[in-house]
Amino acid sequence: MKLEGSYIINASKEEVWLAMNNPEILQASIPGCESLEKLSETQFTAIVKAKIGPVKASFTGEVSLENLNPPHSYTLTGEGKGGLAGFASGAADITLSEHDEGTELQYEVEAQVGGKIAQIGSRLVGGAAKKLSDQFFRRFAAAINGEEENPE
Amino acid sequence: MPDTGNLTTGGIGDAVQRKEDFRFLTGRGTYTDDINRMGQTHAVFVRSPHAHAKIKSVDTSAASQASGVVGILTGADMVADEVGSLICGWNVVDRHGEGHKAPPHPPLAHDTVKHVGDQVAVVIAETLAEAQAAAELVDVDYEVLAANVDTASAMSGPEIHPEAPGNLCYDWILGEEATVDAALANSAHVTELDIVNNRLVPNPMEPRAAIGEYDMATGEYTCFSTSQNPHVLRLILCAFVLGIPETKLKVIAPDVGGGFGSKIFCYAEETTCVWASKKVGRPVKWTSTRSEAFLTDAHGRDHVSHVKLGIDADGKFTALKVETIANMGAYLSTFASSVPTYLYATLLAGQYTTPVIFCNTKAVFTNTVAVDAYRGAGRPEATFVVERIVESAARELGVDPAELRRKNFIQPDQFPYETPVALTYDTGNYEASLDKAMSMIDYAGFPARRATSEANGKRRGIGISAYIEACGIAPSAVVGSLGAGVGLWESAQVRFNATGTVTVFTGSHSHGQGHETAFAQLASTKLGIPFENVEVVHGDTSKVPMGMGTYGSRSLAVGGSAIDRACDKIIEKGKKIAAHLLEAAVEDIEFADGNFTVAGTDKAKAMGEVVFTAYVPHNYPEGVEPGMDETAFYDPGNFTYPAGTHIAEVEIDEATGVTEIVDWVAVDDFGNIINPMIVEGQVHGGIAQGVGQALLEGTVYDPESGQLVTGSYMDYCMPRADDLPSFRVDMTTTACTHNPLGVKGCGEAGAIAAPAALINAITHATGTMTVEMPATSERVWRALQENN
Amino acid sequence: MQNFDYHKPNSVDDAVNHMKSSDDGKFLAGGMTMLPTMKQGLAAPKDLIDLVGVGLNGITENSGSLVIGAMTTHADVASNATVRSKLPALADLAEGIGDRQVRAKGTIGGSISNNDPAADYPAALVALGATVKTNTREIPAGDFFVDMFETALAEEEIVVSVSFPTTAQAAYAKFPNPASRYAMVGVFVANGPDGARVAVTGAGSSVFRVSAMESALDGGFSSGSLDGISVPADDLNSDIHASPEYRAHLVSVMAMRAVDACS
Ligand SMILES: Cc1cc2nc3c(=O)[nH]c(=O)nc-3n(C[C@H](O)[C@H](O)[C@H](O)COP(=O)(O)OP(=O)(O)OC[C@H]3O[C@@H](n4cnc5c(N)ncnc54)[C@H](O)[C@@H]3O)c2cc1C
Repeated sequence: MKLEGSYIINASKEEVWLAMNNPEILQASIPGCESLEKLSETQFTAIVKAKIGPVKASFTGEVSLENLNPPHSYTLTGEGKGGLAGFASGAADITLSEHDEGTELQYEVEAQVGGKIAQIGSRLVGGAAKKLSDQFFRRFAAAINGEEENPE
Repeated sequence: MPDTGNLTTGGIGDAVQRKEDFRFLTGRGTYTDDINRMGQTHAVFVRSPHAHAKIKSVDTSAASQASGVVGILTGADMVADEVGSLICGWNVVDRHGEGHKAPPHPPLAHDTVKHVGDQVAVVIAETLAEAQAAAELVDVDYEVLAANVDTASAMSGPEIHPEAPGNLCYDWILGEEATVDAALANSAHVTELDIVNNRLVPNPMEPRAAIGEYDMATGEYTCFSTSQNPHVLRLILCAFVLGIPETKLKVIAPDVGGGFGSKIFCYAEETTCVWASKKVGRPVKWTSTRSEAFLTDAHGRDHVSHVKLGIDADGKFTALKVETIANMGAYLSTFASSVPTYLYATLLAGQYTTPVIFCNTKAVFTNTVAVDAYRGAGRPEATFVVERIVESAARELGVDPAELRRKNFIQPDQFPYETPVALTYDTGNYEASLDKAMSMIDYAGFPARRATSEANGKRRGIGISAYIEACGIAPSAVVGSLGAGVGLWESAQVRFNATGTVTVFTGSHSHGQGHETAFAQLASTKLGIPFENVEVVHGDTSKVPMGMGTYGSRSLAVGGSAIDRACDKIIEKGKKIAAHLLEAAVEDIEFADGNFTVAGTDKAKAMGEVVFTAYVPHNYPEGVEPGMDETAFYDPGNFTYPAGTHIAEVEIDEATGVTEIVDWVAVDDFGNIINPMIVEGQVHGGIAQGVGQALLEGTVYDPESGQLVTGSYMDYCMPRADDLPSFRVDMTTTACTHNPLGVKGCGEAGAIAAPAALINAITHATGTMTVEMPATSERVWRALQENN
Repeated sequence: MQNFDYHKPNSVDDAVNHMKSSDDGKFLAGGMTMLPTMKQGLAAPKDLIDLVGVGLNGITENSGSLVIGAMTTHADVASNATVRSKLPALADLAEGIGDRQVRAKGTIGGSISNNDPAADYPAALVALGATVKTNTREIPAGDFFVDMFETALAEEEIVVSVSFPTTAQAAYAKFPNPASRYAMVGVFVANGPDGARVAVTGAGSSVFRVSAMESALDGGFSSGSLDGISVPADDLNSDIHASPEYRAHLVSVMAMRAVDACS
């Protein structure tokens, strides 16, 4: 499934770019991210607890940064195994451009889920993916803007 | 047809209540999952979450340390043990004279997984919970490959088997294309239609289950299984997959809660349980969860077709051309190849005299679970093609669809009728069923009913389906010449016990059909003994001599005929004993109503006395063996051809597109009827499934990821009672000419007839050429928009 | 299903304390959502705190409002004489939830705490201007439902009851998903002292109001007033059962039907 959107961030492109490469900000932005450990400059292992209503599943996997084109764009990919729940994977193409109020961040996400969650939750998968990706970019924008987003 | 004699209850034609229902309705049935063996372990399969992926590694180290784990077996273990591939038992020869492509189907995948749910390993533990917990710890590393799930485009999608280039299983034809093209070119009118026959999940109430058990002392295996045909399962496991002598494997299929075809096949799980039981030295039990059933039971239908019907200036059909792509799924299941060919194309004449017909079926592999026979198997697809194109043609020509059908019906005096698609219909009267159905539904009154509906913001439509099927499967020589790997006869053993009761052993398995009742009615009438005295035994290879199982509405026509033949042998032997006791010539003995009589006298011996004499042969004819136990194998001379007309009437809410079925009449010709109540029940169930297909059920795989989107009842819509009207069911009868009972079979008719009737009614209401199945409210609403 | 500890407190305070002392606890009401999720292995709480014994079921009438305890089952709401006479639309809604078995176990508290985007009750709460009472506060329905499966409830907060004003004419029109029979689109319309309210469930990520319809109905409370008013399809749910466009269309149709049923 595909999702797209954009955010205006009150910071320069360079500042946003730095934040996009900062593991702490990434961890704070990924909903339910319990740990993000650096394997290299562009690769991390992650543990993410996804919580959608009654469902609570722990995914372990990798997050990596690809197609780096500083300070304009990169692709943020992630894939995780959630045991019985199945798996989730996604790639977000993120592009920065200058804007009157700072920087515009545009994203296009391509996400897939498989296994149990896909089999029994199909009516919810689209909505949940949208909600999680909104949450990610909202928190990300807030983190750079120095705002406190309720981490829920 | 045998004389029903003086029996008033439980004889042929009596709507006696089903013997088996007491135990079913009071929860006293014994299903596979109810069986527990000493020392039993529990199996949980580790399944692929991906539609298509290379298995890079299977790490069982953590899982094998988990509590209660007895063993973990993988595809590699199967390779090491040289476990064979699951087979397809019907070799379809393609248009170039080559056999179909049947790529390997390992019961546990070891190299690649090819559909979501494909099994990779099995975890065997002391308890089910422990097996589940440990299965979660098996770490499989996959390299995900692109998935290919769409039927229509499968041939140009990613390749699934190196053995099947272009994902083509076979490219098969029946008929002469050039002749048909020429006839179409010369036709006054040609109607064309694109038809999708939607994919269905079978959903029997009882999910599949199996227990494998190995006796080290005797080297014997036992497999308890939810099979529709235990003997065929034994044959496949022994001869092809596990290499066990047939004498060393016993297959027991106890009470089985529905199958609809999906339990005909030999699956990975029962194979694995049997194999694993020796490896771990303990019985291994597996019961499918409903989620697993969605992912792994063989699905049904899934055709995409383009159809052309030629019609001359007088409204006579000149030619029919059908081009079909049929989805086989990832692997070729037990009978999969025969379904979109010999069970489909051969029925494309329908009830009509269409002189030339051509069918091309391309069977394709996809990253979906296997597709195989599902209630009707090929014949619902054929009826849908024929009855949709005929209805569409009538609308294009502006003639009454009933009249167009009537004009093209095979007439009663034309039987036996040889169709251009390889079948010879023995008997039928199609106009009789059409007339009766039209009068039952008051066809003539439809315009007035439509006007009333329109005044209430509703669209009304009426749709006919004049179906035919070939069942009573099947003459062995015929199916053999078409590529079947088995003969399709049936066996019966009739054992008259010394005390006057009768045990009938049949190779036809009962999983809801009511054999224990209908077969008892048959034997009771034939032998002139009370219905209560007959016990029917099935489903155990160690008790029943041999059998080919239940599918294709064959049990009564083939299995019942075998019982009839075995009863004949009992009667013949009884005559010899009676002649001796009555001091008469054998030729002078007549048998009726349970009594052997010397013709023209009142000298008689009751069956009971004769049987007793056979077991206590103190005064006995010379050269006659004691005992009264006869076996017969019956191989039918032809298929049987049930046919009839269903008419559906619908009302559609214009604002929402919701379809309500307001009336349904079914007039079927099943030949002679043994138990009208059971027959009516079969018709009701069949229509419900057909309505399910047409209105509600649709299997969706995500086109990109290959995930099964309709993987639970949250999204897969089964028909419920309130989706259905009260069906009005009636019969016409032309007795089958070539089996001793004159019966044709009734198990699939409803599912075959219903979809076309309903879609014809819906498109009549929407005024569009087509509405795809399932005709969801959105699809109907869009059709209404399109037409406005 | 994983092992868990089962607790059966007999007061709300007790239940809250159990939750506070657990690092991974869940309240259990009718279990109609919780238990299937656990059986599928999609949730594995360490502690399950059953609210069955905390005394939260029952329906009382209270000067112009109907107070329904959180543990009251759908079946009880559907068949309760007071609800039937004071707020028949709510009884009808409860009667249309799931199937008989689900109605016998599922509760109003569980339904709204879960806030499934296709649940029926949220539409009623929002349209009727109900108030959710918890162990610590009162929350207006409009603030209670946040997003799909998300409410204003804190982790250890328990819904105690829901209070519905009974002053409005109201009706609920549901278009069930044919498979699950949850709402594909459900529209609850109420016409009370504060004017008309139209609340929609099933169509979006959470219940929402349609102000264009509300003001049109304030201009004249008849289905004709809704002619030509529709919600934009852009943000509506999309699944194999219905496209956003079809859902948008159904919102208008169901709203009109609900208005017609009000009179
Ligand atoms: C087959 C089926 C069909 C259904 N159809 C419909 C339908 O058509 N329409 C519809 O609206 N719903 C439907 N439902 C949902 C059902 O009606 C229940 O309302 C719902 O499952 C939750 O209620 P419950 O009492 O079972 O809660 P539970 O499953 O026990 O709990 C649900 C969640 O709420 C929390 N919770 C429960 N009570 C409280 C409380 N008092 N305070 C704080 N948190 C609490 C729990 O911790 C849990 O997270 C259906 C369910 C099924 C299984």
